[in-house]
Amino acid sequence: MNRTLNNQRLADDLVRPLFHTSVWFYAIVVAAGTVVACGAGAWGFQLWYGIGLSGKRWPTFWALYLTNFVFWIGISHAGTLISAILRLVNAGWRRPVTRCAEVITVFALMIGAMFPIIHLGRPWLAFWLFPYPSSREIWPNFRSPLAWDFFAINTYLTGSVLFLFLPMIPDLALVRDRSTGWRRTIYGALSFGWRGTTKQWNRLETAMQIMAVAILPVAVSVHTIVSFDFSMANVPMWHSTIFGPYFVAGAIFSGIAGLILAMAALRKALHLEHYLLPLHFDNLGKLLLLMCILWGYFVFNERLTVWYGNEPTEMAVFWATQRGDYAPLYWTMVIGNFVLPLAILANPKTRTILGTVIASCGVVIGMWLERFLIVVPSLTHKQLPYSWGTYWPTPVELFIMAATFAGMILLYTLFAKFVPIISIWEMKAGLPSRMDRAVLAEERLQSTRLDAEPLPARVGPEGP
Amino acid sequence: MKAIYGLYDDPHVAQQAVDNLRAAGVADAEITVISSEPFDHFEFGHRDAKTAMPWIATGAGAVGLVLTYYLLGLSQRAWPLVTSGMPIAPNWTNLIIIFEMTMLSAIIATVITLLVTAGIPSRGGKMYDPEVSDGYILVGVESPADASKLEPALAIDGGRVKKT
Amino acid sequence: MPFRWGMAVDLDKCTGCEACVTACHAENNIPTVSAQQAARGRAMHWIRVERYYEGDFPDVRVKFRPVLCQHCDNAPCESVCPTYAAHHNEDGLNAQVYNRCIGTRYCANACTYNVRFFNFFNPEWPKPLHLQLNPDVSVREVGVMEKCTFCVQRIKAAKTAAKAEKRVIVDGALQPACAQACPTTAIVFGDLNDPESRVARLARSPRGTKLLEDLGAEPKITYLQKQPWYESNAQ
Repeated sequence: MNRTLNNQRLADDLVRPLFHTSVWFYAIVVAAGTVVACGAGAWGFQLWYGIGLSGKRWPTFWALYLTNFVFWIGISHAGTLISAILRLVNAGWRRPVTRCAEVITVFALMIGAMFPIIHLGRPWLAFWLFPYPSSREIWPNFRSPLAWDFFAINTYLTGSVLFLFLPMIPDLALVRDRSTGWRRTIYGALSFGWRGTTKQWNRLETAMQIMAVAILPVAVSVHTIVSFDFSMANVPMWHSTIFGPYFVAGAIFSGIAGLILAMAALRKALHLEHYLLPLHFDNLGKLLLLMCILWGYFVFNERLTVWYGNEPTEMAVFWATQRGDYAPLYWTMVIGNFVLPLAILANPKTRTILGTVIASCGVVIGMWLERFLIVVPSLTHKQLPYSWGTYWPTPVELFIMAATFAGMILLYTLFAKFVPIISIWEMKAGLPSRMDRAVLAEERLQSTRLDAEPLPARVGPEGP
Repeated sequence: MKAIYGLYDDPHVAQQAVDNLRAAGVADAEITVISSEPFDHFEFGHRDAKTAMPWIATGAGAVGLVLTYYLLGLSQRAWPLVTSGMPIAPNWTNLIIIFEMTMLSAIIATVITLLVTAGIPSRGGKMYDPEVSDGYILVGVESPADASKLEPALAIDGGRVKKT
Repeated sequence: MPFRWGMAVDLDKCTGCEACVTACHAENNIPTVSAQQAARGRAMHWIRVERYYEGDFPDVRVKFRPVLCQHCDNAPCESVCPTYAAHHNEDGLNAQVYNRCIGTRYCANACTYNVRFFNFFNPEWPKPLHLQLNPDVSVREVGVMEKCTFCVQRIKAAKTAAKAEKRVIVDGALQPACAQACPTTAIVFGDLNDPESRVARLARSPRGTKLLEDLGAEPKITYLQKQPWYESNAQ
């Protein structure tokens, strides 16, 4: 088959959403935009009347906002895993998936990073977390986990934005070449005058390799540092050494689930059936299964240690989650995070697109509940029983939370409208026709060995 | 003449064109190959792959490490406030911020090096053909000294020659 | 020698009358909240009297324990504040600097005694109650964390007067509002660094224990009681 035609069709399919707008786009933007506006209004109320409009109280000083903070930062770990790790191990099937994942990371981080500001008592002074010598000649307290949060999240956000934007440049150049008028000017500016000389490609790929190596430890450190917000305090069932790895595993878990949902939506909405194949959902489903088992392992570890130690303050929290007030949420979480994904994903026959989507919905709900069950039950059952309390969310908190989900949908939709959501140049580079005959021959030889791994899928219009 | 180049849809033919240009006496640095995707497996794709970028990133990370260490130590000792009986500049906690700033320095240095060495953002005016975006590979020479010698080198089977 | 302010609370003398709570409110301009807000857990009692019931009818006993900021030497609340609003001052007090507080509320979560309180709304004093505000104490705005300061305004005043008059602070002359109001003198305040002060002698008493001592926060309030203390989860 004529390779240029393949390339053409690839570019055509992936650029089409930028030039053709369906009515669904407007519907989603309007609907999501409305919810976001309501949330912004709710926050405005809260800024005006005081943080007392939220449900927080003595002793539950952290509740829904912190839950959402940890949840969204967790979702942001999708991009790093898929993009960076799979890029580093040269897994070819990652090609159509990387940009979808990186976009989730950037937007989830931005949304998550808003919550530390939303939950502050005096948010107009949030800039004091920035390391600068104030007029009082005082710097932030670098011993505080919240100061570490500031550095970690900003580093990860910078790294992720660059990790997303740099490989976008060649695609923006492609869109520039295909557009006219004001579109051409804007995409021309955004593509930085990219031509595609071999030197530019070499530099870009080296930079991506370095960034992939750099962003992995940053991602692990970010959610570990978020977990330090809890484990550094002497609160029952917070003060646990397992929190670092537990949170990172949970983050990757929820991130993959979020990615599967986003990919399924894109596949339907932008008619990407030839690019986001059942194979991708199958592979991601296997990863999701792995993380599901890993999550179960961590939870078992944590709970067994607490139950075996039988320490009264910790057991109060333990029973509150397992049999007490929080039991309905706890068991929903177990079903959503463990039972349902395990049942669906362990069986290859049910590991279809629909199956992984259902499992992912369960995981997203389950992981949100897990964050909530980490934050609230421990605070409501601290060491002195006289100070035990309860917590109920208020409409302000729920509106803001709904607005963040709508905001994610809105940002994602807008992004998919203005930038090709699948990396065109990476797809082209993965087409078999583009590889050296020698490399192809070698790979075919390797695959004829009896103990060989199956070839990575060649993604193209012909299918795997 | 600003430039002479050929457009090819097969990378093997493009490689042949590059070799032809070399045989016609054009220096390697003057041969420009433009494509809409990287061709790492072909010689013309990785001929200028050597770069000091990883070393620059490592170096910048080291600089970030040292600077952050001193910044933290200095600022904490400038106004020593006792909290929880901890030392004023504890190494354990400072290590976390030092790690983040090291990685941030490496990342930013990588990006700056990329922008500088790739010559972006550029204002344009250099040799380019929008057909590259359709998947064709452009092999050419900017401001050629002797275009008549180069045209037969580029006019091989499977390619089209253009002059600007 | 620097001061080291501490307190001794005699649980055998405490009647649970809560005069200390009222005095603290009056002295420190602590805002009152509406009944609805109190039901939602927003009441701010820098010193509170915890009440535990023990046993079944007719052998019920009630135990009272006034709980206030323990001014821990190893305070878990201090290092978690990102803006140094909570720190340890040279007198050994756990200082809360209202101006630096941005309201992350991490300190309140880290406090194992739950003695930190947050201004969820801007406080209001309907006229003419605004006339009873103590001019020596600031009024905190929304979003600021507050807690017992051992009446630092009285400590400062006593230190200033003593320095001006070139004398030492007499033990017992300087008292926070709660100690001053207590009808049974169950609350004793003073300088732990002065071995002859009442509070230092009471801190050495065999009847003395510290609250949640095994957590290692090193609280500076000694609770004196003759009977062993039973915690019960029922109220």
